[in-house]
Amino acid sequence: MTIDPILASVMQRSFKSITDEMSISMTRTTRSPILCEAKDFVTGLYDAQGNMLEQTENLPILSFSLGPVCKYLLEYFAGDINPGDVFFHNDVFSYGNQNNDVAAFKPIFLGQTLIGWSATKGHMADIGGAVKGGYNPTATEVFQEGLRIPPVKVIDRGKLRKDVWDLIFANIRLDIVPEDMRAEIGACTVGERRLKALVEKLGLARFEAHKEYLFDSTEKMMREEIRSIPPGVYKGEGKVFYDGRHPGSQFTIRVTITVKDGAVTFDYTGTDAQTNGFVNGTFTSSASATILTFLQMVNPDIPHNQGMVRPLEMIIPQGTILNASYPKATTFGNHLCPPNADAIQRALAAAIPARVCAGWNHLLCALTTGHNPRKKEDYVDICFMGLKGGSGAMEGVDGYDHIGMIDASGGLLDQDYEMFEQQTPHRIVKHELATDSAGAGRWRGGLGVDTEFIVGSDDTQLVTFGDGDVVPAFGLHGGGQGTLNVIELQKPDGSKYRTTSKDLVTGVPKGTVYRQHAGGGGGFGEPRARPAEQVAREVRDGVISAEAARRDYGVALVPGGFELDAVKTAALRKGAGG
Amino acid sequence: MGIRVGVDVGGTFTDFLVIDDRGEARVFKTLSTPDDPSRALLQGLVEIAESYALSVEALAGKIDTIVHGTTVTTNAVLTRGGAKSGLVTTQGVRDALEMRRGIREEQYNNRFTNVEPLVPRYLRAPVRERVDRDGVELAPLTEADVLAAAELFAKEGVSAVAVCFLNAFANPEHERQAEALLRKKLPGAYLSVSSTLLPAIRFYDRISTTVLNGYVGPKLRSYIDALLEKLASVKFKGVLLIMQSNGGTVAPEIVRERAAMTLLSGPAAGPRAGMFYASIHGLKNCITVDMGGTSFDAAMLRDGEPLFVTEGEIDRLRLALPMLDITTIGAGGGSIGWIDKGGLLRMGPQSAGAMPGPVCYGRGGVEPTCTDVDVVLGYLPPDEFAGGRIKLDVERARAAIEARIGKPLRMTVEQAAVGMARVIDANMAAGVRAVTVKRGYDPREFPLVVAGGAGPQHCCAICTELEIPLFLVPRQSSIFCAAGMLMSDLVHDDVRSVPGLLADAAPKLDAAVKEMIAAARATLKAEHVAEADMQFLPSLDMRYVKQYHEVNVGFPVGASQKVAGSFHAEHDRLYGYNLAEQKTPLEVINLRLRAVGVMKKPTFPDSPRKGGDAAGAKKGTRRAWVPEHQAFEEVPVYDADKLLHGMRLDGPASIDQANTSLFLSAAYSLVCDRYGNYLGYRRDRLDALPQSVRALTDQKVAS
Repeated sequence: MTIDPILASVMQRSFKSITDEMSISMTRTTRSPILCEAKDFVTGLYDAQGNMLEQTENLPILSFSLGPVCKYLLEYFAGDINPGDVFFHNDVFSYGNQNNDVAAFKPIFLGQTLIGWSATKGHMADIGGAVKGGYNPTATEVFQEGLRIPPVKVIDRGKLRKDVWDLIFANIRLDIVPEDMRAEIGACTVGERRLKALVEKLGLARFEAHKEYLFDSTEKMMREEIRSIPPGVYKGEGKVFYDGRHPGSQFTIRVTITVKDGAVTFDYTGTDAQTNGFVNGTFTSSASATILTFLQMVNPDIPHNQGMVRPLEMIIPQGTILNASYPKATTFGNHLCPPNADAIQRALAAAIPARVCAGWNHLLCALTTGHNPRKKEDYVDICFMGLKGGSGAMEGVDGYDHIGMIDASGGLLDQDYEMFEQQTPHRIVKHELATDSAGAGRWRGGLGVDTEFIVGSDDTQLVTFGDGDVVPAFGLHGGGQGTLNVIELQKPDGSKYRTTSKDLVTGVPKGTVYRQHAGGGGGFGEPRARPAEQVAREVRDGVISAEAARRDYGVALVPGGFELDAVKTAALRKGAGG
Repeated sequence: MGIRVGVDVGGTFTDFLVIDDRGEARVFKTLSTPDDPSRALLQGLVEIAESYALSVEALAGKIDTIVHGTTVTTNAVLTRGGAKSGLVTTQGVRDALEMRRGIREEQYNNRFTNVEPLVPRYLRAPVRERVDRDGVELAPLTEADVLAAAELFAKEGVSAVAVCFLNAFANPEHERQAEALLRKKLPGAYLSVSSTLLPAIRFYDRISTTVLNGYVGPKLRSYIDALLEKLASVKFKGVLLIMQSNGGTVAPEIVRERAAMTLLSGPAAGPRAGMFYASIHGLKNCITVDMGGTSFDAAMLRDGEPLFVTEGEIDRLRLALPMLDITTIGAGGGSIGWIDKGGLLRMGPQSAGAMPGPVCYGRGGVEPTCTDVDVVLGYLPPDEFAGGRIKLDVERARAAIEARIGKPLRMTVEQAAVGMARVIDANMAAGVRAVTVKRGYDPREFPLVVAGGAGPQHCCAICTELEIPLFLVPRQSSIFCAAGMLMSDLVHDDVRSVPGLLADAAPKLDAAVKEMIAAARATLKAEHVAEADMQFLPSLDMRYVKQYHEVNVGFPVGASQKVAGSFHAEHDRLYGYNLAEQKTPLEVINLRLRAVGVMKKPTFPDSPRKGGDAAGAKKGTRRAWVPEHQAFEEVPVYDADKLLHGMRLDGPASIDQANTSLFLSAAYSLVCDRYGNYLGYRRDRLDALPQSVRALTDQKVAS
């Protein structure tokens, strides 16, 4: 068949618009704020062999997590995949990434020929297990964390398997979860209709041939990008603190990156062994973290299809903290992305200095649950606004203020304050950029954020997860580090409690003040090279204090004002030898 | 009825549509004057007066309405040329404006930076005060904080101040107090107060919108004052109306204080114009597309009404006022073709703009654009483009396409040009899908109304891509928006947040609507609208309990109990299911009222049916690419001026008129309606055409 390169361009556009439409459908119909507000879901299209045609990830940590499952389904249900079927899957020991991330898959047929798949995976508000919401810091095995769904067929040739459906949802607490799974199936149907119409129009043979061409051209594009990295072997480390059960425990992620012949291998051999808590990754969550970090170092416009991942190889030995063995607990696994990203950034920082940013603030998050007396109902709130610290700076660009962890890279949004006060009993006191939180540098890190609210009802339960409270975001090439994450509760009697990074606090009384500091990102380059006028403006804006300007940047202001004192500044900067 | 004038200010030209008291329409164009757009408006009136052999005063005396679309506010935001602004807000949340809820739109791009806030942090003054979620005062307004802010603003030369406090939607008292203090201390400043402009829940939406309003306010105010003064100088005694982003018009005195209402008003008149042309043929639904030099705007109309959104954005800044749902993508005549690192062909979104423009203009452009493609494919006449004022250099265009696209892709010039056209057509089709499919509609069921200089060259390709069987190109497609302005009514949108269960809110709804109507009636009266021409359309933003996104549902005045039934039906239509049987409780968020002052619409004279063959209008042939035959062919070229009511012709063909050319592909035919507009349709899909259109074509076939 003669290949028409234009048709390949048009197909790529169509795939993207289909997965975007699937995402719109999810956003508008789901109920859990984790899905419709925070958009913790991914939608994708796959070919008949399970190769990725395109995806819309919303939250990058979920990217590349559907393809391996799709291939697994093809094996598992070989000979029993029919038009009108729908499958569910979440099992972390067969390519799932987190128990709460439940996927729906729909095979797409032209007549009786399987031509592809549409799939959606989102973070469900509950998945059963010992703790509501799924984050159980005391878990040691998957069984204490949630329900396992190895692939099951929930709709068989268009007919709902009621017994299977009921078995699943009999084990899940919240009634919004089945509604949100219906929304996933709806989004798959949207994708099915559109892909089918496209293939009908093109003819299967042309579709197949041009799909391969598209994969090849994307692969070529990716290899070009990789060739721009000097060939070599690069090593880096990232630290993980506290497994939720053993205070003071720490673990190391070790990566060896080999760049050669337009391909990259990420080898995690030498990474510490799995923990006895829930701080463990799965192969899929760890591989997604690796890919998303690497993608931020190449051209952001490369199409996200199978061709893009072909030049990337992942070696993540089983039994390590990044790829736990059955039946270890793994709910924390997606949040091993920040230390994994640290390891990759450190490894490549010297090789491609213009493309690697300094350290991002790590996630530290709190989830409150309880009863809202005003609305006479229970509520769950994930404090998205509080967790969003700054990103690392890079050559030419300051870090992004208040962006949140690298797993989401700005895809996760704050609650709106007024909606937050409507939906929870709490009251906002403060949500502001935090002064002096950014790592100093020629390009400074992104600013962190201070959050304060007053707990509005008795017997509130608080769960925390994340880290970034032991070591701050690192600077690069002379840049300073960011600030540490802190969550602190001040009870009405004045007593204070600083939470651990994986905590479960029950019985929090009404009137308690919740305070959180999400740290800033690391700086890049010598701070004294930052234009003094720019520093003076930031002092006027209150994001850098006058003391820090003098100490870190060698910038002095006229006393009592915000104008630059050029003479003193020159002296300060000279004195530093800068 | 006197003369009515629609004025659309574009980047290059200011377009006028003048409809005299006999209903006869004339089109004028004058060069825009971006530094003060009102000069071009006055200059246009002078030229129009000349053409009627009148003095400009005599003409102005005969005009009873001027409807004016302005891009003053849009440009102020896009170029960051608005007022130096201050913000007064509740202590603790002043950064909400800058943080934008923490979004980074490009997640894989670490070089993607945040938008510069319209108010720098040191001019965002925190004020101690607090009202709770139900509007109960928790702490009084600290006047000293407001006064300190006023002092800072005065010292810094701030000319616009926005006021936005937490939960002000539930109790505006503190904002009113702060406003009074500021008004006293800063008498010349433009004040933008959230509870006046947008008393709706969602703090970020409100603070962003209120600040935008202040930022563009002084510019709009002085522009309107200058315009009124110029009009007064020529003794204009009629009514001046300004176009708003919601597709309605408004009196200048009102919009002066609500400047943000005009922020996306540029393309807002288009959908109304589209509906007018569609309604000639009894069509109630249509998609309007406007393809100009740099952008492509698409909108959808259902049951004669355009769709609205309340979550718009301008330059990544949230603008939460009701506005027409128009999707804009970077595709136009100037869109540049390029090849990415993987060897895939792309078109746009970068545009060659007016300078240097497409390569074929010969003004120094070197990157091949969509216009270059159109001239190489024979869709534009090289010698008669823009009425012969611009000669298109085909050879130069061919050379650029060959060098930049053909060679790297190992294609001939023609193959490369065809490929570029296909990519941009696919982009535009995706834009149309975004406005239809996203809203749960199938684009195939909507005729396409095509406007803009570049639209008629691509309408067949877009229709083919979307499987749309019928399109309509207005004869005056280049003054589409100016025409739309004369079709528009006065529109005022009001909103009030009433968060809670529908069951709790229901008893208060009708009374609240009554209050809102009283206020809107006063506004319309001030605009001299007669009671009989007033319409009041209440609606609610609703959802099933625990859902996060609302659906807007209308209800008749005084009959709010009907709203639940309408909600279930609308949810079902949009998302394929409803929960009426389960008796899932309903939540309401916002109560909205749209007040309309219906304006008299101009009527256009129709022409007697000439029927007969279009052969007499044929003036030659041109070599053009015919997609259905995958070949270049000599296609007939018709003179638009000789194509009259009822004349029909089959594709492939080209129709040349003074300001644009229409390319009719082989699968399509075309017939002229009684106003001289072109109706194009697929010959193999006659079954899909509405009866009114088929009648027009069938008669011709028979004669």
